[in-house]
Amino acid sequence: MPTIETLALLSILLPWAGALALVCLQDRKPALQHATAVVFALAGAVAAVAMIPQRTETNIVSFPLGAAFGAVTFLPDGLAVFLAVVAAVIGSLAVIFSVDYMKGEKQLGRYYAYVLFFIGSMVGLVLSSNLLLIFVFWEITALCSYALISFYNDDPKAVAAGIKALIITQVGGIGLLAGALFLYVYQGSYDVPTFLAGAAKLPADVLALMAFGFLVAAAAKSAQFPFQTWLPDAMEAPTPVSALIHAATMVNAGVYLLARFYPAFEAVPHWRMAVVAVGAVTALMAAVMAIVSNDLKRVLAYSTVSQLGYMVYAIGAGGVFASQFHLLSHAVFKALLFLSAGAVIHAAHTRDMREMGGLGRQMPLVRNVMVIGGLALAGIPILNGFWSKELVLEAGHEGGPLWAWLVMLVGAGLTALYTFRFLQMVFWGEARGGAHVHDAGPAMKVALVPLALGTLTTWLLAGDFWHFLGKALPGGHEAESTGALLVKIATAPATFVALAVVAAGLGAWWQRARLAALAGALRGVGTMASNSFGFEAINRGVVRATVESAEALRVTHSGVLNWNILAILAGLVVILAILALGGA
Amino acid sequence: MWLSLPFLSAVGVLGLLGIGLLGLLVTRNLIKVVVGLQVLVKGALLALVLAGRLSGQVQTGQAITLTVIVADTIVSVVALALAVQVRRQFGTLDLRALSTLRR
Repeated sequence: MPTIETLALLSILLPWAGALALVCLQDRKPALQHATAVVFALAGAVAAVAMIPQRTETNIVSFPLGAAFGAVTFLPDGLAVFLAVVAAVIGSLAVIFSVDYMKGEKQLGRYYAYVLFFIGSMVGLVLSSNLLLIFVFWEITALCSYALISFYNDDPKAVAAGIKALIITQVGGIGLLAGALFLYVYQGSYDVPTFLAGAAKLPADVLALMAFGFLVAAAAKSAQFPFQTWLPDAMEAPTPVSALIHAATMVNAGVYLLARFYPAFEAVPHWRMAVVAVGAVTALMAAVMAIVSNDLKRVLAYSTVSQLGYMVYAIGAGGVFASQFHLLSHAVFKALLFLSAGAVIHAAHTRDMREMGGLGRQMPLVRNVMVIGGLALAGIPILNGFWSKELVLEAGHEGGPLWAWLVMLVGAGLTALYTFRFLQMVFWGEARGGAHVHDAGPAMKVALVPLALGTLTTWLLAGDFWHFLGKALPGGHEAESTGALLVKIATAPATFVALAVVAAGLGAWWQRARLAALAGALRGVGTMASNSFGFEAINRGVVRATVESAEALRVTHSGVLNWNILAILAGLVVILAILALGGA
Repeated sequence: MWLSLPFLSAVGVLGLLGIGLLGLLVTRNLIKVVVGLQVLVKGALLALVLAGRLSGQVQTGQAITLTVIVADTIVSVVALALAVQVRRQFGTLDLRALSTLRR
């Protein structure tokens, strides 16, 4: 059995080695490319899973990098290993799914290389315990997401979506970098465990700056308010990539960041409140947008944004375990939903749900697994989404403000509503598309079935999962057994309220014909939601202002050497003047 | 004692830098730009030697100066080769005419 040091390095380097191999392989033998990608992804997943019994609470694997950078250190504790396993396992399922989905596509090498690079970087991000290293991995994941979202680089929409994702996540990267630099200035190293143990030693205002910087970083990465617009646009990517970004890698990074640094920022005034507000606003807004969207993948994208809102909300309310448990459930059922949506899109050749309908009979397996995923998303007992969402709501009830809890309840009802809407539109009713569809291919099934089984069963691991996260969780609560935890959820009054709201959402969809009057009254909200509540307009405004100011500044860039020299001399004079005055 | 060697060297540094910068400031001819750059770099080299002398690290200053001379020679050779190519391609050495940044 290899040691944890070896395994931690292997789980990062194996996918990276695969990426390198795929770059070298050229695009001549597609079968070999598929096989290489699957082998390296699975090998990385095995290495990540093998870390489970060997997790530690102390820094390991350390290469000194000299004074300025600190050492390359990894901390494979429960939280880190959990997220590494999610990234590696769900990532490799997405790779397996790609074997069918990407069959016949050109430039497979570029596709798989970035996917594997992405998985390895995400594992590195969660395992690192050096904040500068975390930042580096953070930016690599941003780069990979850009490259994969723009994979169809002859489609202007895909390229625009990729650049949008890159720019918005860069805003968050600045928050993280600022936090890292502050940490270095005031602590003298980038070491995360040292920081978590002694956060109170930092000046309060610096700690507050770091806390809000990290919140911005997490919000941008996890597509939270007000940065949520990049994620739905990212749907231009091939569907397995969407599953990868939504379930396994990218968006979990923000939630991980908040969960990891929660103990340090807990006491910062207003920080928890800000986190709760970001989560609640996002969850509600995204749920409303999911109801009015007609693009299957966009509905799922909005639902991801909304569910990430639940996780962020749980962290703000102090329920770090609840957020991680929901992350686990969400990773499994959202990967399932995305991959089955990929199978549907692959078969129907459209993403518009108005052109689907009645597909259930032709693709029974996809219908069955997607219904399982949808029920979990809606929070129907006894699927994993039910338990984790109730746990989130309970944590919010205990530790968060009442208004946010009510918002989240409404969000849960809306979740049920849009879930049944898209399932109905895709699988039942009259066939509106003329295309002859076929059920999922063998590699797709290999990826879908384990995820469906996971959706049915991961909640049974609740107690073990808590025990597994162990000391990585703040607060020092004793881990409860699965049974006790489930009984606690099932008997909490909040659960019944939430179930009633979910049932109301379901009923609203059932009786949608009779609620037509109400729907008419809410049409204004729907129109606003279709326009993403004006956030796209804000984005466009920012872009236009940037372009116009650049045009206005164009006169200063004459490209004539003489003027440049003059500017350099003027700058020199200014600096000399400042030095002369400041030195006095 | 104002006519000491360091003082004269400092004057030389400032003079060379000034002449070089002035050359870059007023000329539009690519060849003359390279010449101006050379004069500028010579001023910098003299400054390096002077700095080595004043800080007591004569050898360090001279070693760096020699390194820069080698690098600088390569730079000027490449720049002149580029100038030849520019003249052949575009038929002019006027920087203003060569600039594509303007509208």
